[in-house]
Amino acid sequence: MAETPFKISIPQALLDRLQQKLALTTLPNELEGSGWDYGVPLADVKRLVARWMNGYDWRHHEAQLNQLPQFTRPISVDGHGTLDIHYIHQRSEVEGAIPLLFVHGWPGIFLEGSRIVPLLTAKSDDHPSFHVVVLSLPGFGFSEGAKNPGFNIAQYAEVGNKLMLALGYNEYVTQGGDWGLAVTRRIAQLYGGKHSKAWHTNMVFGEPPADFDLTTLTPEQQVALARTEGLMKKGMGYRHQQSTQPQTLAYAMTDSPVGLLAWIYEKLVAWTDRYNWTDDEVLTWISIFYFSREGPVGSFRIYYEAMGNETMPMQAFREGPAPGIPLGLSHFPGDLVVVPKSWSRMMGNVVFDSEVHEAGGHFPAYEQPEALAGDLRQMFVKGGPAYGVVPSKSGY
Amino acid sequence: MSETPFKISIPDAALQRLQTKLELTTLPDELDGAGWDYGAPLADVKRLVSRWTNGYDWRHHEAQLNASLQQFTRPIAVDGHGTLNIHYVHQRSEVTNAIPLLFVHGWPGSFIEARKILPLLTTNSANHPSFHVVTFSLPGYGFSEAASKPGFGIKQYAEVGHKLMLALGYNEYVTQGGDWGHVITRKIAQVYGGKYSKAWHTNMVMGQPPQGDDAQTELSDEDKQLLARREWHRKKGMGYMAEQSTQPQTLGYALTDSPVGLLAWIYEKLVNWTDNYPWEDDEILTWISIYYFSRAGPAASLRIYYEAMGPHKTDAERGFADGAAPEIPLGLSHFPQEIVALPRSWSRNLGNIVFEAEHDGGGHFAAYEKPNELVDDVRKMFGQNGPAFGVVAGKSGYSTEGKSGL
Repeated sequence: MAETPFKISIPQALLDRLQQKLALTTLPNELEGSGWDYGVPLADVKRLVARWMNGYDWRHHEAQLNQLPQFTRPISVDGHGTLDIHYIHQRSEVEGAIPLLFVHGWPGIFLEGSRIVPLLTAKSDDHPSFHVVVLSLPGFGFSEGAKNPGFNIAQYAEVGNKLMLALGYNEYVTQGGDWGLAVTRRIAQLYGGKHSKAWHTNMVFGEPPADFDLTTLTPEQQVALARTEGLMKKGMGYRHQQSTQPQTLAYAMTDSPVGLLAWIYEKLVAWTDRYNWTDDEVLTWISIFYFSREGPVGSFRIYYEAMGNETMPMQAFREGPAPGIPLGLSHFPGDLVVVPKSWSRMMGNVVFDSEVHEAGGHFPAYEQPEALAGDLRQMFVKGGPAYGVVPSKSGY
Repeated sequence: MSETPFKISIPDAALQRLQTKLELTTLPDELDGAGWDYGAPLADVKRLVSRWTNGYDWRHHEAQLNASLQQFTRPIAVDGHGTLNIHYVHQRSEVTNAIPLLFVHGWPGSFIEARKILPLLTTNSANHPSFHVVTFSLPGYGFSEAASKPGFGIKQYAEVGHKLMLALGYNEYVTQGGDWGHVITRKIAQVYGGKYSKAWHTNMVMGQPPQGDDAQTELSDEDKQLLARREWHRKKGMGYMAEQSTQPQTLGYALTDSPVGLLAWIYEKLVNWTDNYPWEDDEILTWISIYYFSRAGPAASLRIYYEAMGPHKTDAERGFADGAAPEIPLGLSHFPQEIVALPRSWSRNLGNIVFEAEHDGGGHFAAYEKPNELVDDVRKMFGQNGPAFGVVAGKSGYSTEGKSGL
């Protein structure tokens, strides 16, 4: 039996060492009135570190995470041996539920997909149900990472596809954003038609079609585009470093809890839309990176492998012909890149295109699970644009 | 008397805390056969951490620095930023009419970058000019106080350097700088040039491809090699700049809290930016320690990137091409492994080039890697037969007794 039930169980020695390090935290000062301009504010970091040292109870949150049905199993990857892959797998009580693979990105983790699991697996006459698999990408969470250079998007895609096949899901659909978009797109290219039958993403981008008249942009669209431009100017340092010298960065991120906290927290705030993070929520998220099987460096390497060509950093998200299988798009107003809906039709065979939601950013499965689950239900509902893409698993 | 003699004296408690942190170092793994491709190699970092934890003697190096460099501090007022306590080295030549020279470091440099050129520049000889040398720790570096509010940009760093020279009685002076030192001395030349700064010399030669007719010139093989180095740096080596110029505080937490994190971050540049310089482990660790034990902490040293190149700046400002080229005489020293290496024809617009020299070795930290060559160039530029001889009136650089014949 290749699958092994998995429970997170961080050794006490690691918890003790973390506390020892936290007790020795040395903090920088901060320029007066700098707010978020220079990076994460000192007051936020101080507060989070104080909580982490005193009050935050990892064992409690670990137990809560262990309520998620987690497993590990070995998956072989051509040219990279066998990796022990960690995932959530929750079947619906509806036998004919649609198998769905959820793929996170960075700084995402399996936790990101956990909230849509009960929504998607729920039974109802009014909407389809899904059997849900949430993958920890190799190098993230409790999945083993690659040991050799060259583990690129095609390899991550291979892991996702093989996992679904191993679980008995010969045909399935996918949902992903951030690196999850690149990976599920590759799945659609490599295994689309035969195994992957439809794909859905919440990370929407695109360029104006050739005949697009820029003067027709609405004020809201102009504001959104200006915001995207601002975020690109301000927020891509992490990506530049991770895609060129991830090992150099790794020493600090592995050795310093507060260093890792700030690095990721900056994105948890900047990339979400009016999401009220509690301190313990942030600390649980960071702790998963801190205690991850490969350490934080495992999560940086995807940038190096997939974004090495700096003249086209988004190449991994666009290369090759657009997949032919049906594509669903969900638009969230607070994501990093927000473009007019007409620009994103070039992403593929768009059969479902949501209205722009009220709220939600880069992690909608976590921030707005109802909205995202609602979109998936609409895409695959009886009579909907992707109904029955998996024959015999229509969701009812 | 506003000048105070200074000796580096890191408290025992700080050394102990560092030791405790080092003993708790947690290291990442590394991909098989990664070499330098992904960043500083694990074997190097392990070895350096091991030495730092056991064997490296900070007190010994601290004493050496104090013995070899005459250091001081004094308050310098900066418009809009109050008064900052500035740490500097001041070494006068025995030649009374030596030329006052201000050396300005950059990142990840420090005042110790001048330690090799200092004795050479100040030495007395009939065959070359001598200099009174001043080098300061930029605010936020070494033992200088840092700015406490936003907006402390290149103009403010230039103001500090200039006011320091005036305070030391050097109403007229020349400058030498690379990295931020280039940018700051360029600003000094723009703002204070002519009246105060009389000439500037740089080893980080910047420039753009020539436009129009000049653009048709074929590139030599040598030029192509230089451009390849430049391109490598652009593609692989600028992550630090992207982060430091946009989110220096975010990065600052890690570099302040983690000795190994700071070590790797800087060590990568000390190797990548030099020309096979044979670093010794203790040399690296001393260099890193200046950052670790700096008065303002490592995070403060990153802020110059944000102030000078942040998202709020114009492209011209980010390219250090803002304003007119300075008019005062300029000297260039080309070192082949400089990270922004470029064909010589690209640097014609930098200023009033009166001196130019090429070298067949050396990289970004010229004063440290190639002190003899750099000093030779500066001597030639300002020497009796040089193009900038006598720029500082009454300070020719030579002893007035027993003047050498021409």
